[in-house]
Amino acid sequence: MARSIWNGTITFGLAAVPIKVYSAVEDRSIHFHQVHAKDGARVKQVRICSKEGKPVPYKQVEKGYQVRAGEYVMLTQEEIDAAAGEGSKVVVLDEFVRAAEIDPVYYNRSYYLGAGKDGQDAYRLLHDALERSERVGIGRWVFHNREYLVAVRPLDRVLALHTMRFSQELIKTDSLDMPTPSRKPNRREIEMAGKLVDSLHARFDPSAFHDSYSDRVLDLIKAKARGEEPDLPEAPEPPESQDLMAALEASLGAKG
Amino acid sequence: MPRALWTGSLSFGLVNVPVNVVAAARDLDLHFRQLHAKDGAPIEVQRWCSKENVEIPWEEITHGYELDDGGQVIVSDLELQAIEPRRTRTIEIEQFVDLADVDPMYFDHPYFLVPGSEDDGTLRAYRLLSEVMRKTDRAALGRLVMRAKEYLAIVRHRDAALTLTTMLFAAEIRDTKGVDAAHQKSHQPAPKELDAAVAVIEELSSEWDPGKHKDRYRARLKRVVDQKRKGETIKVPEEGEPPEVPSDLMDALERTLQELQTGNGKARARSSS
Repeated sequence: MARSIWNGTITFGLAAVPIKVYSAVEDRSIHFHQVHAKDGARVKQVRICSKEGKPVPYKQVEKGYQVRAGEYVMLTQEEIDAAAGEGSKVVVLDEFVRAAEIDPVYYNRSYYLGAGKDGQDAYRLLHDALERSERVGIGRWVFHNREYLVAVRPLDRVLALHTMRFSQELIKTDSLDMPTPSRKPNRREIEMAGKLVDSLHARFDPSAFHDSYSDRVLDLIKAKARGEEPDLPEAPEPPESQDLMAALEASLGAKG
Repeated sequence: MPRALWTGSLSFGLVNVPVNVVAAARDLDLHFRQLHAKDGAPIEVQRWCSKENVEIPWEEITHGYELDDGGQVIVSDLELQAIEPRRTRTIEIEQFVDLADVDPMYFDHPYFLVPGSEDDGTLRAYRLLSEVMRKTDRAALGRLVMRAKEYLAIVRHRDAALTLTTMLFAAEIRDTKGVDAAHQKSHQPAPKELDAAVAVIEELSSEWDPGKHKDRYRARLKRVVDQKRKGETIKVPEEGEPPEVPSDLMDALERTLQELQTGNGKARARSSS
């Protein structure tokens, strides 16, 4: 496990749990540097003042918020950081909700929590109490000068912390303005479709899926490192749409 | 209808439902542009060769992969295009799983799937798939190739529509080895401690109401921008005091319960500050 990225305290009521935060997700995609094709030298990004046409050292760069075309309010990093609020190292769990009530669409980034200094007993207590009550603690977390809504929940033996999307960020279904069909699916269609769903039903096994694209990129790199030339794959034809009932019947037939 | 990010069809068995992928989340963040502090002029970023120290045009830029031995393999756009996933226009449902078995950790970015046409057959097939998944609490797994990238995607019923969420691969999720989760027997809470902690949680319980949680960071950042625009000074807040860690857990839990139950709002007040 990599090093912790944040240390602080979780409180619930007057109880406090010293914790450490670890990333739960690792970026496994393959990264390239931009290089100059001619000489293989790294490409560097140079900041140019649009007025003077000359490079600007990073220390002379500030942030601008556009209020109308071409007009910016200039802020220093400290001023932007001031929006984080009190930079206290506390996550206050002030509300507990049923885990099952939260739609997964709200979960954003995931982290693991570990027990901080002398926090083992309190950590285990919070973990076991959340597990027994089947609840998730909701609070706020200030990380990298930004405040997040977070959920803390037991995940097997550890506690996980998730940053949450705000409901304002989520687009409502009504705005999709979806047309309705002339009639609802009938009983027979639902029955047939249900059978088809059953026939394709399996237990979720995340390890059964892997990122084959990254594998192909790595293979390409290895082949090129050996001085080989890669070959090209071909594209398939898209299938056509057809009669619903006939397709359901044919699918079930094909399944035997 | 929102803009389609992808058009194609969802297929299961021999049934094909023409669908479009549209956004389900929007970016409400305030975005800043880099400015030159001296004259407030916007900064433009140019790409320079680090060897020749001159600006280079886009066409002369390619991809370099650094090998462990310090060497470099150059890979061109064309070579990367050749291994791109097949540009299929179909999300083929490979299996249906119980939604409850999929940990929310796997969910990455949310989209909606909407019917790809107003054709009655399409609308009925869409509705049928949606109904069946709602009734069975099952979700469909398939692969989606979008913007030259292949995603594992989960499709399910949510709020009268089909939601598609891209998923993380298991390999992207770290294992919890090395996380001190205090699972040794010596840290097991005493039954009365656990009862007290559960009681505190129950006291502080409510229904999940996502709409009541506002993005306070965004609101504060807007305020900072407005203040600065009016020429006001921005006050940088003081670092808050870390909370005392009570030495006696049981005592802290009992005091919390007492305060919550007698309506002496100290424990709650502290929570909502």
